[in-house]
Amino acid sequence: MNYSDLATKLSQLGERLAKQSDRLEGEELGRLAAKLATHLARFEEQLESFLASRKSGELLLESLLRSPSSKRHLTVPLLKRGLREICAKRLKSEELGAAKREFVELVHTAGKQDQAAEFLQNAFAEAVHVESGGKDKGLLQREFVRLGQLLDDEFAVEIGSRTLPELRRVATVNGIRFTAKTNRQRLIMLIRRYAQRAAFNVAAARVPSRI
Amino acid sequence: MSSKVLAFINFKGGVGKTATVVNIGATLAKLHEKKVLLVDLDPQSNSSLWLMRPDRWREHVARGRRSTFQIFDDALQGKSRFNFDEAVVKGVVTWTGFTDLTRLHLLPAAVELLRVEERIHELRAPAIFQILESALGVQFKQYDYVLLDCPPNLYSTTKAAIFSADSCIVPYVPDYLSLSGFQVLAEQIAEMREKFAPYLPARRKPNIGALIVSHYRQTGNVFRLAVNELELSMAALREEGVLSDHAVLLQPYIRHCVRVAESTSEHLPVILYAPGSIGAQDYADLTQRFVELFESKK
Repeated sequence: MNYSDLATKLSQLGERLAKQSDRLEGEELGRLAAKLATHLARFEEQLESFLASRKSGELLLESLLRSPSSKRHLTVPLLKRGLREICAKRLKSEELGAAKREFVELVHTAGKQDQAAEFLQNAFAEAVHVESGGKDKGLLQREFVRLGQLLDDEFAVEIGSRTLPELRRVATVNGIRFTAKTNRQRLIMLIRRYAQRAAFNVAAARVPSRI
Repeated sequence: MSSKVLAFINFKGGVGKTATVVNIGATLAKLHEKKVLLVDLDPQSNSSLWLMRPDRWREHVARGRRSTFQIFDDALQGKSRFNFDEAVVKGVVTWTGFTDLTRLHLLPAAVELLRVEERIHELRAPAIFQILESALGVQFKQYDYVLLDCPPNLYSTTKAAIFSADSCIVPYVPDYLSLSGFQVLAEQIAEMREKFAPYLPARRKPNIGALIVSHYRQTGNVFRLAVNELELSMAALREEGVLSDHAVLLQPYIRHCVRVAESTSEHLPVILYAPGSIGAQDYADLTQRFVELFESKK
């Protein structure tokens, strides 16, 4: 059953009840009717609250506060900044759970649920912003493929002039993992190995499809 | 309403196409309050079965009537039996039996779609490519996002999806087999750009808008190196004019998450089934980037 089916059922029941109401009697029927009336009142209350929260932006705010993004990116300092920007108020709580509750209460009192939801959406967007890898990422990637295309002698000459920080930068940008203990010789070996692979894979995969 | 129609394609199977479509669609509806239509074009009906209980799906698409199959069958038979309002499934039914995510609509697929490819050549181009757009173009306008889940091939159904889309999204697994497949795919789409041009408005050209990496693991060098090779390949394809300068590799990469796999058996997107899981978190962050990309906020 879905909400539309429920609506149809309630309408049909209402019509039938209205037509027959003068003839209805008995303890069992009365007991169930009382139970239904209680449940209906609770449902109506919940429905009102849901519709109001959807209209005011509170539902979205609630969804955002309970969202996976919130679990990963929401912090007390972020909530403090939000409240200061939205309501010009100070958040007192220092624990995340309490801070969330206080944030919602104060935003609700100020009637600024929409702004709060927008603030959180923007904050989560900022949080997932990924660094591009630096201005020279493209250059270092091209360099990596070129190194992979060199003959052994040529590679030895080229790489011999590079400092350790330069080698580390080439390795980092091109996805080679190493530790602080990785020495120059090992790093050169890794760069050679994976640069050759990249040069081969990127070129070899270029199968002309217009055949 | 300005809708974005996006075709999720990769002719390599097992790259997380359906998981991406279902979970981005659900997250757009839940956390961004977007009205989303998922169109399942794969005879395997995986998006449909992810979001609908099998008994309900079977009853809904009986004889292919209330499914995307009917659109193609109508085109082949010269009839118009497809009724969008009857076929579309609104929201996701949770364990309570009542719906959630009412902004997420699904146009389910049926296994009968398998028969389409056998007969579609009875039609002539461009009629084949225009099937989806002719049948659904008007309906697309009522949505913020239309996500087309294509089968893992580049046959007529997929071509019809690419024709009707503003952009293509390529789900990708970081390994060499995917890399070689991607390069062929990019060339094929570049060919379609030329082939479809006379029939499309000038502003709309088939192109790859984004790549999405899934099944990612952070341990060791393996996946980082494979992603680097993908970036190198994208740069090479851009230089050759095969790939648009606007094509991006979206981050974060979707990590392997058992809760996502489990959510298929619960017939719920992971954001409803396990909102605290890393899968739900990755999709939430990815969808954020997705919205930025297609709504040009940043």
